[in-house]
Amino acid sequence: MTAATETGTGVAAPAAAPAVRDAAAVARRPRPRVGKILLGALGVVLSLVWAFPVYWMLLSAVTPDARLRADTPSFLPTHFTLANFGSVLTGSGFGGALRMSLMVTLVTIVLVLAFAFLAALAISRWRFRGRTSFVLAVLFIQMLPAEGLFIAQYKMLSTVGASAPVLGLNSVLGISVLYTAMLVPFTIWMLRGFVAGIPAELEEAAMVDGLSRTKAFLRITFPLLAPGLVASGVYAFLQAWNEFTTALVILPAESRQTLPIWLRSFLSASANRGIDWGEVMAASTLIAVPVIVFFLFVQGRMTSGLVAGAVKG
Amino acid sequence: MVATGVATSLTLALALAACAPADDEGTGESGGTPEAGDITLWLAGADTNDDLRKYLVDTFAEENPGSTLTIEEQDWTDLVTKLTTALPDAANTPDVVEIGNTQAPTFTYAGAFREISPELYDELGGDKLLQSFVDAGSIDETKYALPYYYGSRYMFYRKDIWQKAGLEVPKTLEEFGDSVKELTSKKQSGFAMGGQDWRNGISWVFANDGELAVKDGDQWTSTLSDPNTVKGLEQWQDVFENASNLPATAKDEAYWDFINDGTDGGAPEGATIMAPGWARWSIGDLTKGDDGKEVRDGMADDKKFDIFALPGVDGGVAPVFAGGSNVAVSAKSQHPELAENLLRIIYSDEYQTMLAKAGLGPANTDFNKLMTVDADGNPDKFGEVAVATAEASKLTPAAPGWAAVEGASVYEELFQKIAEGGDVTALAKQYDEKLTPMLNGQAG
Amino acid sequence: MTIATPASTIAIRRRRQPATPYLLLLPAVLILLVGLGYPVYWQVVTSLQEYGMMQQFGAPPTFAGLDNYARIFSDERLLPVVTRSLIFCLVNAFLTVAIGLGLALLMKAVHGAVRITMQVVLLLAWATPLVAAVTVFRWLFDYRAGVVNWLLVQIGLDQYQGYAWLAQPLTFFVVATLVIVWMSVPFVAMSLYAGLTQVSEEVLEAARLDGASPAQILRHILLPLVRPVLAIVLLLQIIWDLRVFAQIRLLQDAGAPISETNLLGNFIYELGIGSQDFSGAAAVSIFVLLLTVLLAAPYVRSLMKEDAA
Repeated sequence: MTAATETGTGVAAPAAAPAVRDAAAVARRPRPRVGKILLGALGVVLSLVWAFPVYWMLLSAVTPDARLRADTPSFLPTHFTLANFGSVLTGSGFGGALRMSLMVTLVTIVLVLAFAFLAALAISRWRFRGRTSFVLAVLFIQMLPAEGLFIAQYKMLSTVGASAPVLGLNSVLGISVLYTAMLVPFTIWMLRGFVAGIPAELEEAAMVDGLSRTKAFLRITFPLLAPGLVASGVYAFLQAWNEFTTALVILPAESRQTLPIWLRSFLSASANRGIDWGEVMAASTLIAVPVIVFFLFVQGRMTSGLVAGAVKG
Repeated sequence: MVATGVATSLTLALALAACAPADDEGTGESGGTPEAGDITLWLAGADTNDDLRKYLVDTFAEENPGSTLTIEEQDWTDLVTKLTTALPDAANTPDVVEIGNTQAPTFTYAGAFREISPELYDELGGDKLLQSFVDAGSIDETKYALPYYYGSRYMFYRKDIWQKAGLEVPKTLEEFGDSVKELTSKKQSGFAMGGQDWRNGISWVFANDGELAVKDGDQWTSTLSDPNTVKGLEQWQDVFENASNLPATAKDEAYWDFINDGTDGGAPEGATIMAPGWARWSIGDLTKGDDGKEVRDGMADDKKFDIFALPGVDGGVAPVFAGGSNVAVSAKSQHPELAENLLRIIYSDEYQTMLAKAGLGPANTDFNKLMTVDADGNPDKFGEVAVATAEASKLTPAAPGWAAVEGASVYEELFQKIAEGGDVTALAKQYDEKLTPMLNGQAG
Repeated sequence: MTIATPASTIAIRRRRQPATPYLLLLPAVLILLVGLGYPVYWQVVTSLQEYGMMQQFGAPPTFAGLDNYARIFSDERLLPVVTRSLIFCLVNAFLTVAIGLGLALLMKAVHGAVRITMQVVLLLAWATPLVAAVTVFRWLFDYRAGVVNWLLVQIGLDQYQGYAWLAQPLTFFVVATLVIVWMSVPFVAMSLYAGLTQVSEEVLEAARLDGASPAQILRHILLPLVRPVLAIVLLLQIIWDLRVFAQIRLLQDAGAPISETNLLGNFIYELGIGSQDFSGAAAVSIFVLLLTVLLAAPYVRSLMKEDAA
């Protein structure tokens, strides 16, 4: 709909010789430019609207709470302070929760990508009996409401943990396995498109040139898949980083809580004393920063990953 | 590796479970000192301050050589979730838990707690323990969960604002209603209270001799439609509609903010609030604390801030809802003797004294008097009002389904609808029908 | 999509040993069995039992047949929750995809600097963790000191002084929708934009010179090209938005009419953990699964057809 305004008067004379075309194009230039400026302005305005919640979070995080309750809010950091961060970071278990979140997220990403990639390879490169059922099953598993599952998940991990604590409650691996199971279905869907997009001929050509199957795969196919893996990895990262219902039950020990749980208990503790929005926003900022850094880090690859994924659908 | 893994570990776990009692027997028969171990105590919220925690940990280690106590703090919001999953699990259960007094009956009936023998009960204080809380954790005569602390609610008000309007501390509940209505303007609530805040609201029910539910035989019946209850609810509705500017959905607000001065000395948004005693430390003028952060001075200016107990219908003190918690040993605890030793510390004179000094109503009523004097032995008005309201306080029904009722926020909803001006009689009837089966645990 | 089809038909290795694909699927199948197998089995079994607090603490559960389902379907709370969830899900999914498409087209149309600004901003919103995002929106819409009310009062809407957004179901869902759309649009916009970049400038220029109006270009060139992506993001949004749980719960924490704002996920949670009616919660879960499958079936069938082509 927005593009419709772009070349408002574009219904031009039927095309003639190339020379005429060029001339016509040159002649029409000024109008689209006006449209483009308007669109650009719209883009900037929308960016501001979209960025506002993040800006407000950062601004509130560096403003003393008393200021935040003032009758007239200030839209610039006129009372800049880092005190909110100071009181959030002292003795609140942020460090431990950060470490736990990083470990769980990392293990989950690795497991999800490895397992989903192999499965995606299978369903996009082979037709075999049960393929359709598998694809359907994978899609439907996503539709299961997770809110009823965690009593059973708790029982399961507690039982497993009795003989293998490394997989039990409060363990990084245990919760990562649960997250992986929740995330693998969608990741298979995502990766399927990428794998299908890489012609097997490329690999076969390399094999004709004398590379082994594995080497051909590693040198030819894998690099082409990298953007797809990054895009899927981002998805897994966000999900694992954000999850809190399962983590609440599966990681009961205070020392093993992840960042969302930490923020939630921070929020409710703060609510009991009358929410200190400055501190709460500082805490929110702290858990957002690692994600934003990660995103900026992978941004280039992620966009090209989405491009590649998009074409394949 | 894993498809069979679950089954294998199940068998393994069973095998392990079969071995486990051997340890217990060993400790049980050796008598006297139980085998050393590490036990866990779950505390809810931050009310138990760091000094109290340190005392528990240190004393426990001292009295039980080789054993340690770990304290973990749980959120009130998620406490039921975590207790529901962890308590039935022998391998991961906390040994001793703090639980909200209104949540205690559900877990007690489910068999989550270890029985407290009559001998131990007597040793821990027996009849001196706050009986309404003891009842919340008992099935007939058998005790499972004992009181930990109580906090009753009273009124904090802006003395300056009340006096300026020529109003005195009210003598009756009706007078209170009239006064706060008079103090209400568009910018100021005479009585800042959220509509969903039934824990404060039920005081009006109790004051009118109403009940939320009664037990007949072993059946609970919701009695909102009882004329006394309806009268209380209507009185509360009138106060809310005409004296509070807060939303009908507000609950657990930081009410103390409302009677503090606004930013830069602006007028407060409320003249009166109802809150537990520890709210005092969030009220007052701003001063610099030890760490340089701005804190409230705890109502140091007694011409500006003061307190009173909510008056009853015919004068005296109205029965208010007593908040607080119980403490119990998990039925699945692997170290029940050590857990009981921890109870002995909690109910020791020293710890009860510390609770009272920290402003938490002590489980053992003998220590109430400690609350009424300050550190120098002078009468302390906060303690006096706290004890007076506690003596008149009431608990919510100790029905097996009570936690389910709270979990589904039924009373929040009812009070919100009343606050929005709904027809009390019709609502009472509607919610009676909804609540009676829930109270008896029939929904679950 | 069809571009890949000729290649993949040739590439399909029917003649190779058929064990390979199964071996490749094995880890994924195993992790699903381990992570979800027992929980799903437990849920099915529990939905057929009487399972409450007593059973959770060790009393043997009794077989109840379809009693729980009968009880759930006669529960007057179920229908409103289902209706509310469906409406909420569809509104959010279509709104998200529509705004996402609009932003993607805009990104395609604007200059480099603006485009990069938009991408970075979307990335910021995308990267903001859920709990933080909901917390921020709670703060923006706080009835006493929230900036939204302040702004509305500044432009002369005095009734928003101290307005409690979360107090009425309708305005509660407005806030919930804003959070969800704000968080979900970036994924949709970026995916669609990625799809749009596949259209070469030459093609568009040629179309323009051939006299195609922007609307025609949109309808005949751009939309067909992103249609497969559009279909998938829409399906995903529908699946995800039907399962919204955390955002609602975190907003309810701030004080809201709970039973009137519960969506399916919250209803299941409240029934299970809140009211200790674990068998009822399990029965609702199974019902939701069937409902989603039913809703998605026509859609999935067309996707599968495309896939098989």
